[in-house]
Amino acid sequence: MTRPRFSRKALGIPYAVFLLFFVIVPMLVIVFYAFTDKQNHLSGMNFIKFFSDPTKLSTIAYSLVIALITTAVCLVVAYPVALILARSKMKKKNVILMLFVTPMWINFVLRVNAIRELLNWIGILGEANYFNTILGMVYDFLPFMILPLYTTLLKIDESLYEASADLGGNAFTTFSRVTVPLSMPGIMSGVTMVFLPSMTNYVVSDMLGNSKVTIIGKFIETYFGSDWHMGSMIALILLVVVFLSTMLSGGFKEDENVRGTNL
Amino acid sequence: MKLKRIFSVGASVFLLLPSLSALAGCGAQETVRLRIYNWEEYIDEGGEGSYVYDELGEENAPSLIEDFESWYEKTYGTPVSVEYSTFGTNEDLYNQLKLGDAYDLVCPSDYMIMKLAAEDMLEPFTDDFFDESDEKNYYAANVSDYISNVFDNNYVTVTAEDGSQSQRAWSEYAAGYMWGTTGLIYHPDYVEEDQLNGWKIMLDQAFKNTVTTKDNVRDSYFVALAILYEDELIEIGKSHEQNELSDSEYNEKITEIMNRTDEETVSAVEKILLDLKSNIYGFETDTGKSDLVTGKIRLNFAWSGDAVYVMDLAEDPDGNEEPVCFNYYIPEECANLWFDGWVMPKGANTQAAQAFINYLSMPENAVRNMYYIGYSSVIAGEAVFEYVSDTYSVEEGDEEEAVEYDVSYFFGEGSVIGTYEDQLNRQFYAQYPPEDVMLRCAVMDYFDADTNDRINELWTKVKGASLDPWAIVVICVAVAAIAAFVVYVKLGAKIDFFRRKPKKGYTLVRQEPYRPVR
Repeated sequence: MTRPRFSRKALGIPYAVFLLFFVIVPMLVIVFYAFTDKQNHLSGMNFIKFFSDPTKLSTIAYSLVIALITTAVCLVVAYPVALILARSKMKKKNVILMLFVTPMWINFVLRVNAIRELLNWIGILGEANYFNTILGMVYDFLPFMILPLYTTLLKIDESLYEASADLGGNAFTTFSRVTVPLSMPGIMSGVTMVFLPSMTNYVVSDMLGNSKVTIIGKFIETYFGSDWHMGSMIALILLVVVFLSTMLSGGFKEDENVRGTNL
Repeated sequence: MKLKRIFSVGASVFLLLPSLSALAGCGAQETVRLRIYNWEEYIDEGGEGSYVYDELGEENAPSLIEDFESWYEKTYGTPVSVEYSTFGTNEDLYNQLKLGDAYDLVCPSDYMIMKLAAEDMLEPFTDDFFDESDEKNYYAANVSDYISNVFDNNYVTVTAEDGSQSQRAWSEYAAGYMWGTTGLIYHPDYVEEDQLNGWKIMLDQAFKNTVTTKDNVRDSYFVALAILYEDELIEIGKSHEQNELSDSEYNEKITEIMNRTDEETVSAVEKILLDLKSNIYGFETDTGKSDLVTGKIRLNFAWSGDAVYVMDLAEDPDGNEEPVCFNYYIPEECANLWFDGWVMPKGANTQAAQAFINYLSMPENAVRNMYYIGYSSVIAGEAVFEYVSDTYSVEEGDEEEAVEYDVSYFFGEGSVIGTYEDQLNRQFYAQYPPEDVMLRCAVMDYFDADTNDRINELWTKVKGASLDPWAIVVICVAVAAIAAFVVYVKLGAKIDFFRRKPKKGYTLVRQEPYRPVR
C-alpha cells in the first residue's frame, strides 16, 4: 500500500471551502442586497440615499473620529509598554505580557459590564458618554496593539541601538530614526487591528454610552431589523473603508521582516 | 422575489433532510413534530424558580414543554416531539419567516401579528378550536372576556396572493398569551406624586439624566406622540368624564390619535425625541431594570411585566442590599395596550399547534407561566383568579386595612380582591390595571411599508449624529490627510525619507536594507 500523498494544494482545500462558503458567498449576498431594492430590482438608490443623508454621513464621520482617537490613544499607551517589555532583561517578562493579554480571554460582555459598574462608581457613567465609549474601546482593544508592537520590537537587533549610539545618536535620535522606522510594520498591524473594530463595535457604545452614542456599526444592526438592503449598503461601504485602510498599511509588510506580527 | 424563493427552497430542503431520515428510521409509530418559536425565557422552563419547584416542592420540576409532550401522548395517543427555539425581536422573527424558516407556532407581538396576517402569512384557526363544548378547548373556555373582545372587535385587512382583500378579526388568526400596558416605574423617594404629570415627565429637567426609555422606535414613538397630543388627549378624557363620550368612543378616539403617522406628526415627533434624547440617561434594551435597582436612574419606561419583575426583585433583593419599593405609573392621558399571541404560519401542523395553545391555556398552566415569567396571562380561569387573589389579598388579621380592588372586567362579575393600599400603584396595579385605566390604553397598529421607512428614517435621525456639513468636510479632509501622510511615508521610505541629505563634501553610499541575522 502506498501512503496517500497530499500535495500542498490539497492541504489548502478545507480552507478554500471554508473561505468560499463563509466569506465569499456571504459577501456576494451582501453585494446583491446592497444594490437591489425591496422588490429585488437592481437599483443604486441605497448608494445615493446613503451619500445624500446628512445623518448617515455625520454618523460615519463621528465613527471615524472615535476610531481615530481610540487608535491614537491605544498607540500612545501601548508603545512604551511594548518597548519596555521588549528591551527589559527581566526573566519573567512573559508573565507581564500575559497580564496585558489575559483580559482578552475573559468574555467580552462581562468585561464591558465590569467597566460599566466601575464608571458608575467613579460617577461618570451617563455624564460623559463619548469619553466612556472611547475609554471602553481603548480598554478592549489595547492587547491587539501591544502584541504586534511587542513582537516587532523584540526582533530589532540590539547591535543597531549600539551602532546608533556609536555614531553619536542620542536617545531621541535612536528612537525616531531606528526604533520607530523598524517597528513600523508592528505599528501598522496594530493600528489596523484597533481602528477597524472600533468603528463597528457598538456593544461598547451601547453599554458605556447608554446608546446615546451611535456608531456606524449600530446603524447596520438597526437597518437589518427593517431594511436589509440599506443595511447591506452600509456594510459594503464600511467594507470599502476597511479595504482601503488595509491597502494603505499593507505595503509595509512586503519589504520588512514581519512574519508573526499579525495575530 | 425569485432569488429569495430559491434561497428559501434550498433552506427548506436542508431543513427537511434530517426529518425525512428521522421518519424513515422511525417506522411504525409516527411521531408528531411541533416546531415552536417563542421569545427567550417566555415559558415555564422548569427547575428552580418554577412554580412546581417553589410552591409544590418537586425537586426535578419539568418544563411545561416536557409536560405537554406527555399530556399530548396521553390525550391523543400519538407521541409528539417539540422543537423549541427562541428569538430576540419581532423583526428577527419576521425575517426568519420571510427567509423560509418553517414553524408550526410562533409568538409575535400585537403589531407583528397584524403585519403577518395582513401579508397572508398565517394559517387561520380551524373552526373546532372555538367549540366550547369540547372540554379540551381550554383556550376558548378560559380566555378572559376582556381579551377576547379586543381580539374579536379588531380587524386586519388580509391581502391574499391573488390580490383579493378581506377583513378578518384578529381572533381568526391569533390566540392571546401574555398582555399588559406600558408605563413608568419610579422610585417614590425621589419622585413626588404631583410631579407625575403624564408622559412629559420624561422631558422634565428635574429628572435630567435619571430617566431611561426603550431603545426601540415603536415605544419611543408612542411616548413622543402622547407628549405631542397631550392637550387633545386630556380634552377627550374630560368629555368622557362628563359622559359626552361613551367608553368605546373614548377608546376609539385615543387609538386614532396614537396611530397618527402623517408627515407633520412625524416631524413634530422628531423634535420631541431629540429633546428626550438630551434629557434622558440613555436608551436601553434591558439594562433599565438593573440600573433602577442599583439607583442609577429614578424613572424607567417599562412594559408592565418587566415592571412587576423589577418591583419583586427590588423588594426582595438577594445578598445584603437594602430592599426598595418601586411604584408603577400609567400616565393619565393614555398608555399602550400590548399583547403577545400565538399564531400559526402557513403550512403549520394546526392540530398539534392548537393542542399546544390549549394546553398552555389550562388555568393551572397559565399560573405556572405567570409565576415563572411575571407577566399577566390572558387566561381568566378560576385557578388564575385564586392565584392572583392569594398573591395580593391582605393577610389574615389585616382585614381592616383591606382596600377593595375590582378586576371584574377581566375575571368576570364580582371578582373583587381586598388588597393593601400600596398595591394600588404597585404590582397588582401593573398586572391588572383597573377598568378605567384600560379604557385609555390604545393598541398601536403596524406601520405599512412606506410609513415604516419614514419612521425608521426618523429613528436613525434621532439616534445618529448630526454634524454640520463643514464638520463632516473637516473630518473627511483630516482622514484624507492622514491617508496621504501614510502614503507619503511609504513612498518616502523607499526614497530615503528617513535619511538626511548628505552634507556638502560627502557622498551618499546606498546601503542594502537591514536584515537581521537569525
